[in-house]
Amino acid sequence: MAGSRVDCKVVLLGKAYGGKTSLVERYLHDRFNAEMPYQNTIGAAFGAKRVEVDGKIVTLGIWDTAGSERYEAMSKIYYRGAKAAVVCYDLTDDGSFERAKFWVKELNDNEEACRVYLCGTKLDLVQENRKARRVDYHMTTDYADEIHAEVIETSSKTGFNVCELFEKVAEGFARDPANKQTVQICSSVPQYPSTSLSKDAENFQVTEQGRSRGGCCS
Amino acid sequence: MAALTEPTLPVQPLPPNDLEEVTPDDLVEEGAPGASEDHMLIAAESYEDINVAIDEQYHRGKDEKDKTKNEIEQSARELSIDDRSTTPSDEGRETPKEEVSSAEGKDRSNSMLGNRDRPQHVEEECYSPEWRQRQKHVFILSEAGKPIYTRHGNEDKLVTTMGVMQALVSFVQDNDDNIRFMIAGSHKFVFLNRPPVILVCVSHSVCFFCFHRFMIAGSHKFVFLNRPPVILVCVSHSAESTQQLLLHLTYVYNQIISVLTFSQLSKIFEKKSNYDLRRLLTGTEKFLDNLINLMDRDAMFLLSAVRCLPLASSVRDIIGQSIAQCKAKDLVFAILVGRDNQLVTVVRMKEHSLHPADLHLVFNLVDASTSFQSAESWTPICLPKFNSNGYLHAHLSYLDEECSACLLLLSADRDVFFELSEARQKIVTRLNKYNCLQAIRESLAKGSYKVAQIGIPDLRHFMYKSKSTAQYTSSELEAPYTEEGERHRLFGMYQYLHHRVHNSARPLKILFHVGSKETMLGWITSGFELYATFGPLVTKPAAINAINKLLRWIKKEEDRLFILNSYTY
Repeated sequence: MAGSRVDCKVVLLGKAYGGKTSLVERYLHDRFNAEMPYQNTIGAAFGAKRVEVDGKIVTLGIWDTAGSERYEAMSKIYYRGAKAAVVCYDLTDDGSFERAKFWVKELNDNEEACRVYLCGTKLDLVQENRKARRVDYHMTTDYADEIHAEVIETSSKTGFNVCELFEKVAEGFARDPANKQTVQICSSVPQYPSTSLSKDAENFQVTEQGRSRGGCCS
Repeated sequence: MAALTEPTLPVQPLPPNDLEEVTPDDLVEEGAPGASEDHMLIAAESYEDINVAIDEQYHRGKDEKDKTKNEIEQSARELSIDDRSTTPSDEGRETPKEEVSSAEGKDRSNSMLGNRDRPQHVEEECYSPEWRQRQKHVFILSEAGKPIYTRHGNEDKLVTTMGVMQALVSFVQDNDDNIRFMIAGSHKFVFLNRPPVILVCVSHSVCFFCFHRFMIAGSHKFVFLNRPPVILVCVSHSAESTQQLLLHLTYVYNQIISVLTFSQLSKIFEKKSNYDLRRLLTGTEKFLDNLINLMDRDAMFLLSAVRCLPLASSVRDIIGQSIAQCKAKDLVFAILVGRDNQLVTVVRMKEHSLHPADLHLVFNLVDASTSFQSAESWTPICLPKFNSNGYLHAHLSYLDEECSACLLLLSADRDVFFELSEARQKIVTRLNKYNCLQAIRESLAKGSYKVAQIGIPDLRHFMYKSKSTAQYTSSELEAPYTEEGERHRLFGMYQYLHHRVHNSARPLKILFHVGSKETMLGWITSGFELYATFGPLVTKPAAINAINKLLRWIKKEEDRLFILNSYTY
């Protein structure tokens, strides 16, 4: 059923060779192939994953876009209607952070409702060799504060922070009152104790609404 | 097929030169094997594009008058790549030297943009012996002389060489003429000028013929193709003819159009004539590389036809029906392609047909990238023959875990990804229900057919193109053509045969070529093209007898080897 219905559209943006595809591969399939030669994405690839937030199911529809400049003109196809954008930059390439800023501006201009997550990639390379770091962490957090975004540094090779990133995305979506209509209760999981089902009354109400609408997860 | 049961060609020994007098048309005029009224694909003639290119004249402004003859002479010196020559016999054709040294391979990955920060004074690539010994070079440059692409090496290191090529092109244009190709000893340079870009192919080649307008410089032949706003040049020392090299350049040009569209390409250069096109082509080198490599070994480009995956017609019907039933809005084409560029089926909108040249680019897209194997993809693609100024939007996905068949759903609407994704899911369910995917996998695993199955002792290999359906079939390559060098040599022989029978100055209907390693027969009728390889000792009557037998076999098998009826939306 993956792909047939999507609650939360997530788009990955950023400079080519920035590690977007690896990030999605790690998250969706929990794999990383260091031997495989670099393959640039053509157009955009789509993948979906269902996650639980506060006992509710959110289907993340993830668009992994190509970083090449020629797709810039048509990037709107991919980010239009996105609820969240993971703007990736390579921690070992300062140019990629400049590119990330370009995307943030593009999103602010065209998709106001889209939450932005700044994602530094290839953290393992920086941990191996401190000198490899080209993007200063504090600089990124300062910038993030300015644009009301969050920063997370990840490594697709080790898997560090990858799930956490997408959990943040899902939580940000599910807990946003603006998305009430689309979030619904996870009715088929009785093993989850009711205490953890919802964190506050508002969310619970959301789940009730979702159920009454018949729901879109089957 | 009553006509086929009677051997209509003389089986008695023919006088040596009489073979070309034979008119076998009565054999095939009606119902050539694999013929069909169905217009799934546009029946394409070999070289049709090139003829257009030759007819087109681009009279351009003379703002570059100051290129002097001295520069041209210097250019000839600089461009001379290798002085080795080959003899025009099948013996002399060299096996390709395509092993990329690891150093260069690494360099290549940095190509297109990655190395912009490098110092300007890099040594020109053309001084390195490995680079010079390459069998075929392809260069693309803008009309302003900026490098866009090189097949071998790094285009950043070829700034001077490309500048010289640009000078050559504009020098000839000053005389209201267009440079097409140039012979320099054993090398052939083919140019394709598509302002604002120039494509060049250099190949170390045996020159079969010369046509009007060419240049000889030292020991190399250049072929030029002018496609405003691009110039393409080919420098070759392979077995191909000038027309074949022009065909290569046309495909390379179409590949660029497929990525950018013609309107976008011309707009960019109208705005800024010295634009660095590599910025927009980042990531597409692999498609250009793969396309050029494919053209060196796959006959589909040469024949202007596609090869179908052999399938029982009942299975193919179910596949066609299943796809046709899962409609989606504005779906123009659905293409199912098996591994190794074998077409399973095409379902199309009633009023549209696909051109084989467009289908070749689709095959190349699937063939060149593994990135479609992991997820459903959604990408714009321009099919130059269908509409060179606009994009179609392609939903790409493999239908099973083994990645045996890739389904492309091409729509005019950019917002229908999820509709197509749903349609794709329904198609997969149906195909699994009727075991069609299993049948595809089995056919792929079995490969093509062995020539021994046909039961003709002297026949080693053949290629048969049905003209009306633009499809071809060929037997598996078996010993002695299993080794790479021999395979390459045989392909060169087919290119030679194809060149001879399609020679515009003196087209042949039938050609019997006796070589030291094999005997070959080329036969063109209004319904088909046939190229066959026999052992070296076969006689003409035996070969013709064998061909008649072969045609009967193809007729018998045509349902399996060709797509004779297609489905429409």
